[in-house]
Amino acid sequence: MEPILSRNFDQKTPLDLAGFRDRGGYASLNNILGRPRDELLQEVKDSGLRGCGGAGFPTGVKWGFLAKDAPHPVYLVINLDESEPGSCKDRQILYRDPHTIIEGVIASAYVLDADKAFVFVRGEYRSGAEGLEKAVQEAREAGYLGKNILGSGYSLDIDVHLSAGRYICGEETALLNALEGRRGNPRSKPPFPIVSGLWGQPTVVNNVETVSHVPYILTKGADWFKGQGINGGTGTHIYQVSGCVNKPGTFELPMGTTARELIYEHAGGLREGRELVAFQPGGTSTPFMLPEHLDIPLTWDGPSSVGSRLGTGGLIVMDDSICPIDYLINVVDFYAMESCGFCTPCRDGLPYLVHVMKKFEEGTATDKDLALVEELCDTIFPSTHCAHAPGAVMPVQGALKQFRHVFEAHIKNQCCTLQGGQ
Amino acid sequence: MTLNEQEIEHLKEHIGHYPEPRAGAIYCLYFVQDKYGYIPRESMDEVGELTGLSPVQLDEIITFYTLLRRRPVGRNLIRVCTNISCHTRGAKEVLAAAQEQSGVPLGEISEDGSVTVLPSICLGLCDRAPAALVNDDEVLGELTPDKIRDEMARYVSQAMNSTEASANGRLIATLKPQSQEPK
Ligand code: SF4
Ligand code: FES
Repeated sequence: MEPILSRNFDQKTPLDLAGFRDRGGYASLNNILGRPRDELLQEVKDSGLRGCGGAGFPTGVKWGFLAKDAPHPVYLVINLDESEPGSCKDRQILYRDPHTIIEGVIASAYVLDADKAFVFVRGEYRSGAEGLEKAVQEAREAGYLGKNILGSGYSLDIDVHLSAGRYICGEETALLNALEGRRGNPRSKPPFPIVSGLWGQPTVVNNVETVSHVPYILTKGADWFKGQGINGGTGTHIYQVSGCVNKPGTFELPMGTTARELIYEHAGGLREGRELVAFQPGGTSTPFMLPEHLDIPLTWDGPSSVGSRLGTGGLIVMDDSICPIDYLINVVDFYAMESCGFCTPCRDGLPYLVHVMKKFEEGTATDKDLALVEELCDTIFPSTHCAHAPGAVMPVQGALKQFRHVFEAHIKNQCCTLQGGQ
Repeated sequence: MTLNEQEIEHLKEHIGHYPEPRAGAIYCLYFVQDKYGYIPRESMDEVGELTGLSPVQLDEIITFYTLLRRRPVGRNLIRVCTNISCHTRGAKEVLAAAQEQSGVPLGEISEDGSVTVLPSICLGLCDRAPAALVNDDEVLGELTPDKIRDEMARYVSQAMNSTEASANGRLIATLKPQSQEPK
């Protein structure tokens, strides 16, 4: 495997334009700009590239939904919000190699014939956004952005938009509201953004990692990209490992790498004397996988085969020093706090779920509470306006099966099983 | 007036990037907040004029987004992440130590004006957990209760050594909340 997105991560400070070009940066554009768009779109489709923000929808198919006669301006919006705990992989590209993002945006925007691109950066990445802005400026001065890029007849500009916090702004329609200067409440779909997005114009929203792959797919070819993966995976992926491991970190690896390799080889294994209890493969909204799933390849399909999801590919590891219920309380509390407040099942249901789960930790839970947790999950899941609340309850629903004995032990012993009992 | 002519020109120029002025609201609010450490009422009128939004509409935005604030904070705003990657590595103890060191409840300004501590959602620093972000910019990673106390002690001495107290130029040279003057 060739590292692509992280190929310049060996640099102490991010490369400036000259340094980036010395290492072959922006060369792809000479090859891409001016080529027929249909041909390029087909290459993206053939590559099997899928949305790296967590949804995993095939990128080429999504782009194909953009109508041929879509009214201009067409916008490309790059989602760099990534506020899901355990999932901050794109931060690395932003802080360590911003020109890679710009090259990806230009290539992708060209395929889409977009008129303008916005990179939507979460407020907590302020200095990263400043670095990106500087890189945009350099690219503009060098003629990679602006009117008639490299004499191709194609024009594009990039705006870096710094947001001001809130996890929900990573949801694509909430992001559009946020970008327009409104509260980040998700919009109803349809209409889908690709038909009517920013200011009512056709808008494609993509994750940073996704677009950063595009120049390489278009110059090296779909087959090359596919060949980067292993165990049935396609391309490379930026994985992250955090939580109860010795060396948390972010790693570009072949798509299809197993959790075992990630946890034990790249992230330095578990802390001394500790045992693996479970892990979430891709952020806090993904159901737990168990030690017996360590060898399942982390592809878009691997975790699904055991009821989980790849999500962002940001693994969070739970060892036996932490009670699964305490872990879940923390996770659901995050979603409760970050609810946009628009719909009741999410706004009121999630805090209630936290309240009931706390009873288990405090030792006051009864059988009724266990039934209530179950019922709450089943009620919240199908009843909300967007995927925020379902994302919160999915790991709980999984845990009710996988760790039912833990819930029951809390009831029986009237205390947290980690603090005695058991 | 809280903004001078030059600043208003700058903001107008930025707002011009968007098809609709209100899309520039966050940028303007950040701008004011950088200048004062928070968003004073008078600035809301000015930003309102630039973006076509009423003060209530601006408040609607400010109350939604975590990083915008209508109240002053200490010269150093420390956000301690409490989410899961940090939680598994002792975030609770780090937050408790930070609060204790500040000497006031979470969200309040320490007596000497040097710090405000806030719990935060995931800061995007999960690989450096437990983590905190200072002044929306400076990263503190691999924290322990001792480490955060030491860092905070550093801010206090910085504050004592500089009358302007705008060490990073962002927060908050002009902030002087009446009740929180050093005693
Ligand atoms: S599910 Fe939650 S985040 Fe989504 S719209 Fe409803 S309240 Fe907002
Ligand atoms: S969970 Fe603490 S920084 Fe992500």
